[in-house]
Amino acid sequence: MNEAIQIVIGGLLQGSVFAVLALGFSLVFRVTGVINLAQGAFCILGALLMYSFQVALGWPTLPAALAATLGTAAFGFAIGRTIFVPALPRLPVSSMLVMTAGMLTLVEGVLLVVWGSQPYATPPFSGEAPVSIWGVLVPTQGFWIAGIAALAIAALWWLLQRTDLGMALRACAENRVAARLMGIDVARMTLVSFVLAATIAGIGGIAVGPITSLEFDTGRYFTNFGFISVAIGGLGTFMGSVVGGLGLGVAEQLAAGYVSSLFANGLALGLLLVVLLWRPNGLFAGGPARRSDVRDEQRVYRAIVRIDGRGGTIFGAIFLAALIVLPWLLPPGSLLDSLVITGILFIGVLGLDVLMGFAGQVSLGQSGFLAIGGYTAAILATNYDLPPLLGVAAGIALSLLCAFLLSLVTTRLRGHYLALATLTFGLLVDSLTVGLTETTGGPSGLVGIPSFSVAGYAFATPISMYYLVLGIIVVLILALLGAMRSSFGRALKAVRTDQTAAAALGVDVRRHKTAALAISAVLASLAGSLYAFQFHFLSPEMVATPRSFEMIAMLVAGGEGTLIGPLFGVALLTLLPTLFQPLAVYKTFGEGLLLVLCFMWLPEGMFGAAAAWLARRFGASRPPIQGSTSQGAAS
Amino acid sequence: MSAAMNSRDSVPALELVGLSKRFGGLSACDRVSFAVPDGSLTAVIGPNGAGKTTIFNLVTGLYPADDGAVRLYGEPILGFPLGRIARLGLIRTFQSARIYPGMTVLENLLAGAHLRVRASAIAEMLWLPSARREERSLAAKGEALLELVGLTAWRDAPATDLPMGGQKLLEVARALMAGPRVLLLDEPAAGLNDAETAELAALLRAIRDAGVTLMVVEHNMSLVMGVADQVIVLDAGSVVTSGSPRAIQQDRRVIEAYVGQEDLDLAGSAP
Repeated sequence: MNEAIQIVIGGLLQGSVFAVLALGFSLVFRVTGVINLAQGAFCILGALLMYSFQVALGWPTLPAALAATLGTAAFGFAIGRTIFVPALPRLPVSSMLVMTAGMLTLVEGVLLVVWGSQPYATPPFSGEAPVSIWGVLVPTQGFWIAGIAALAIAALWWLLQRTDLGMALRACAENRVAARLMGIDVARMTLVSFVLAATIAGIGGIAVGPITSLEFDTGRYFTNFGFISVAIGGLGTFMGSVVGGLGLGVAEQLAAGYVSSLFANGLALGLLLVVLLWRPNGLFAGGPARRSDVRDEQRVYRAIVRIDGRGGTIFGAIFLAALIVLPWLLPPGSLLDSLVITGILFIGVLGLDVLMGFAGQVSLGQSGFLAIGGYTAAILATNYDLPPLLGVAAGIALSLLCAFLLSLVTTRLRGHYLALATLTFGLLVDSLTVGLTETTGGPSGLVGIPSFSVAGYAFATPISMYYLVLGIIVVLILALLGAMRSSFGRALKAVRTDQTAAAALGVDVRRHKTAALAISAVLASLAGSLYAFQFHFLSPEMVATPRSFEMIAMLVAGGEGTLIGPLFGVALLTLLPTLFQPLAVYKTFGEGLLLVLCFMWLPEGMFGAAAAWLARRFGASRPPIQGSTSQGAAS
Repeated sequence: MSAAMNSRDSVPALELVGLSKRFGGLSACDRVSFAVPDGSLTAVIGPNGAGKTTIFNLVTGLYPADDGAVRLYGEPILGFPLGRIARLGLIRTFQSARIYPGMTVLENLLAGAHLRVRASAIAEMLWLPSARREERSLAAKGEALLELVGLTAWRDAPATDLPMGGQKLLEVARALMAGPRVLLLDEPAAGLNDAETAELAALLRAIRDAGVTLMVVEHNMSLVMGVADQVIVLDAGSVVTSGSPRAIQQDRRVIEAYVGQEDLDLAGSAP
């Protein structure tokens, strides 16, 4: 009995931090319609600043906490002012979601550069000795966490309900256009909501720091659990955030305590899916309904790039010829391995391109499919001596099953939920690869994976692997080119831009979303398998969630919706860190920055921009405006 | 019902029976019954808020109806989702032209042909000759339609570059690509100038003469009176009257309901 109470108390403490984060999500969502994935990173930023002031500089607790809070607020202000607020009017809502994923990566990159990758812990505010209440031991930090969370929640409530600023914020939440007409500076309110959310996340982080292992990338767990809290409680509702956070905290601790900590992520995913099926708007449904299921392309300027058949064939043939002779031009044994990895990752990103670039569905969990493909193939080939090809097929089958289960729930719902369900899926696979030590080898990884082989021929040398991967890519590009240029591809694009119009023309929206997710799962799984065979080794962090974010950065930087474009993004982010080893610590930061910059200044990506420039330079000029249709009402 | 004029077929293309929908306290559609004869061009008119677009949304499954029935060639379709109704041959357009941004004009048209494409995605991936042939014949069909609506010069322009009138025409052409049996157009003339409206009238006649049944919600009186075989007049969610354009123009109730004053020129000869 005592044990149960102990666990519930632990859950409430954990949950109060989720609740604080959930409130931040809610606040920004209400004011802007955007899920801000960077939220969790501010939590860790607050805690690490606390560490620096309190431990490294030796300040007393209170001044250190105040300085850490101010520091988080200032950083939030900088990010909000330079990235979030300027991006909001330019990008559609679902791109904003990916943009905030970029911001999360960016902040994590800063944390990595400043604090490195080792774990930190801050000392409890008032000693280690727990207090005993009726025989139940409660760590004193628990009182601090609960008290600070309650205070932060109450202060936010007071601010929103009882002040002019709160009134203006709520006006923006109800109707941005009307608020603007009433003379409210909506951009300023957006910034205020963003900084407020960052600040309370930081405060939550400072409070929870002493009972958490702080690493630069712990933030995404807080992002994930904070978001699931708010999704369970009801997006945009004050009560929902608090109840959702506390409930998830208790459920998570109970699962971890009685089943296994591995189960906690699985439980979170399960809870999310059940609530979404049963009550899509959360337990405390409320707040204005917002359309976030379409990419709302009107707000995006993206040049339409179409390379005509002949030009494309010539360009493709030259490019392919260059890739075929490339290995012979390189100094032996240097870059070839990196090129093979570039090709393998490109296969995975190609799938993401179909899902995101064509069908407009955001997935933050492609690493989950990479891991399934990688581990299934590796385990079957290593431990059971099955032919690699069979392992690849088994990985694909398992990935397809997972994709199908995810799509059962998510295709009926708005785009945000697919993004977050896939993120949770990715984190679940992460914890399984680490936790199922007997099957996966745990954190130390799986060794002795054989080379890929088909019918007795082993692709054991880098050069054979290079041509294998190149061959697969050529086949995939041709197949996808055929499909994307025909009815199937047009239907996907129609789903991306206007689901209702697509359905009115007979497009089965759910089936096409599912098909796109399935294609992305198959290709990611294939890439994961090849990855394992290439390295002869597979460890959890090689196919963990940061990969999902990296793949998105590669896709966006290369050019969404162009099949060949992502290759340039993959090459940039794979080859640069290899060529400039000392810069490796800046890789995460660079990925985040690249993603953010591309979304702001180069929405069509490097390849898209180059192709558009070429088309303008050498292509036919725009047709003249025809007399009879030129005078319609301005659109 | 008495208005089944030029139809010899006893089964109407589209039949609404007692269709009702309330939004809170407002009755947007109150026991609406009428039939659209096969091969006819039926216009639905009425003042703002009369429930015209609501009827479209109920018929095409965008909103659930509270009561009533809708039959497409005798088959009940009420309660089916939008996509399934489209697959049965009932295609609609929207009040604000919902063309696909991010696609060219021709691609928008071809995207409309989704229902008619036989080749599977797998066949497309394998570049099977049958799939390529089908794609070529679709493109030819699309270009013919572009010619018909006068947008040939815009073929490869981004669809969002079209002026509003062009976007409306493109949406109608895209709906035709789907090969509809019954086509529902929601205010096709909104945002069009007089010259464009005249072109639209010719286009609507051509569509009907090609055998497609049309139901059109429209504000533009001269367009309606010039092309419709049958006019349904709605006010406050109910059918006021229905009949031929001539009969409607002389109906006192229509004049009162629709314009609220007596001496207005319903023929719409000069705006």
